[in-house]
Amino acid sequence: MRKFMTYAFATGAVISLMGFSTAQASDAEASMLANTCNGCHGPNGVSQGPATPTIAGMNKNYLIESMTNYRDGTIRKSTVMQRIAKGYTDAEIAKMADFFSKQKFERVAMQKTDPAEVAKGQALIKDMCEGCHEKDGYTAEDYPVLAGQMLPYLRNNLMDFDSGSRSIEANPKMSDKEKRKKLRVLGELKEKGGVEAVLQFYASRK
Amino acid sequence: MSKIMNTMNRRHFLKTTSGVAIAGAATLAAPSLANAAAGGKVVIVGGGVAGATTARYLKMGNPDIDVTMIEPKASYHTCFMSNEVLGGERTMGQIEVTFDGLMKMGVKVIKDHVTAIDAAKKTVTTAGGTTYGYDHCVVAPGISFVVDPFVKEGAAVFDKLPHAWQAGPQTALLRSQLEAMPDGGKVAIIAPPNPFRCPPGPYERASLIAQYFMHNKPKSKVVIIDRKDKFSKQGLFTQAWKNLYGFGTDNSIIEWRSGASTGGIDAVSAADMTIETLSGGKEKFDVINYIAPQVAGTIASIAGLTNDKGWCDVDKTTFESKVHKGIHVLGDASVATAMPKSGYSANSQGKVTAAAIINMLAGKPVGTPSYVNTCYSIAGKDYAFSVAAVYRYNAEKDVIGGVEGAGGLTPMDASAEMLRREVEFAHSWYNNICKDTWG
Repeated sequence: MRKFMTYAFATGAVISLMGFSTAQASDAEASMLANTCNGCHGPNGVSQGPATPTIAGMNKNYLIESMTNYRDGTIRKSTVMQRIAKGYTDAEIAKMADFFSKQKFERVAMQKTDPAEVAKGQALIKDMCEGCHEKDGYTAEDYPVLAGQMLPYLRNNLMDFDSGSRSIEANPKMSDKEKRKKLRVLGELKEKGGVEAVLQFYASRK
Repeated sequence: MSKIMNTMNRRHFLKTTSGVAIAGAATLAAPSLANAAAGGKVVIVGGGVAGATTARYLKMGNPDIDVTMIEPKASYHTCFMSNEVLGGERTMGQIEVTFDGLMKMGVKVIKDHVTAIDAAKKTVTTAGGTTYGYDHCVVAPGISFVVDPFVKEGAAVFDKLPHAWQAGPQTALLRSQLEAMPDGGKVAIIAPPNPFRCPPGPYERASLIAQYFMHNKPKSKVVIIDRKDKFSKQGLFTQAWKNLYGFGTDNSIIEWRSGASTGGIDAVSAADMTIETLSGGKEKFDVINYIAPQVAGTIASIAGLTNDKGWCDVDKTTFESKVHKGIHVLGDASVATAMPKSGYSANSQGKVTAAAIINMLAGKPVGTPSYVNTCYSIAGKDYAFSVAAVYRYNAEKDVIGGVEGAGGLTPMDASAEMLRREVEFAHSWYNNICKDTWG
């Protein structure tokens, strides 16, 4: 691996000297770039589960935000995504985001949820989440689609909001007002012991 | 037969396009352009990850392309996650995929064995006696084994000392041997020299067998007798073995012996169940997993596509053979430096190849390729790690080079929570790559 890194750096050096690094890389078509994601995220970004999220049908701006925050490496910590996101330019990320935003979010993974938790979650989201994640989390306007998203992924992210490893404060794409609102709602949800119920509600959507 | 089919295609083409002005003499002289009007004809040899991905992405990109995939097996067992079968975490059925999804898309799946490829005539011939004509042929035969001269039984050795490096009956055989083995027994994994399919595979295998022993046969041991002095993800595996299996202590379930430490293998006997090394003498084992040295799948050498090392040199933007025009070789059989021989590489290369063929058939430039590899290794319960890379073609060096500053390994100081998540993502990876490859 060390050998590979040395090699990769050497390659990079050659490319920069030649002066065609990013411009040339962006020549790849959107589908060519996006298809490389499917091995982990599923065909056209529709995940078969259990944990890797569906990225099909997501809001384009949200996909760009996710990739650039992963690429930063501190705003949104991750396992593999922060390593992969570093491989793409802004132009390439925009192309991929546009491609996946035009795919259909399909709910194909079999997810087990508890009907009691789902009912409890349904009551909670009305006041707490619906303002942003509209129509039971099915819409992709401005915010990510939550309906039918993978439960382990949702749990991981709530854990990360809580620990700060997915930082709301440091997210450059959110206004101060938005940040205050998100943090307040998440705090209230935790106080009510409703986090798991809300996640189960969204995961249970077909 | 192919001649007849090709003639039929041409006639059909001439009949349907004779009134079109572009059908000039130059166009007709080039067979690929002639077939382009009808979508073109692609024959794929092998239904593994590379072959199936190419088939699927050809059909998705242009449903008019006539795609035939020839594969001797009725269904396919994936090599990835087969280590979980060996560890008792997964059934054989859970690593089996069918070709139904490809057939539903209109891919003609033929159960037969390809015996010859004629690059001049552009035909593929099978053991069943059928000959298929093509505009582009995709050769994705995976690997074949070169049994070492020190193995007494020759190629028959695998009946008793399974390689289990092509999943299927070999996986089931090795699993049954592990189950039958008494507690206190000893397993040897003979790890192959570079290059080989799935570089971290032997070490993941040792890990998951160790996990099985820990819970079921705690006095048993796994000994990796390596042909190399270092291996893929070595730091992460070594750390995991220390954390999970007592590596480095007297009670370690796993022992790793480097090539330098054994001085090399002198003899392997399936009859005596022994391995003899220069430094260690003759040693008896209860189970021997002989992962033999590898070269490209046999049809690649029959078709004259291999180099002197047994692998296939290709144009890294189209995967077209450097020996024969019109034949593309990808996946484990190809030399795709610096992509590793992994399932994800084969999947990624299948998409690059499909896009190139679609453009070539349409008489367009092949376009700029993009490639990714993501490879997970599961070391134990809630404990996995990965390596990833984003690649671009570097024309100066003719390599598929990793993008500077991107990719790399799970960090050595990853938290327990991150290692747990990598297991979730490894299992998701499996479901998604299978769906993306076979439909």
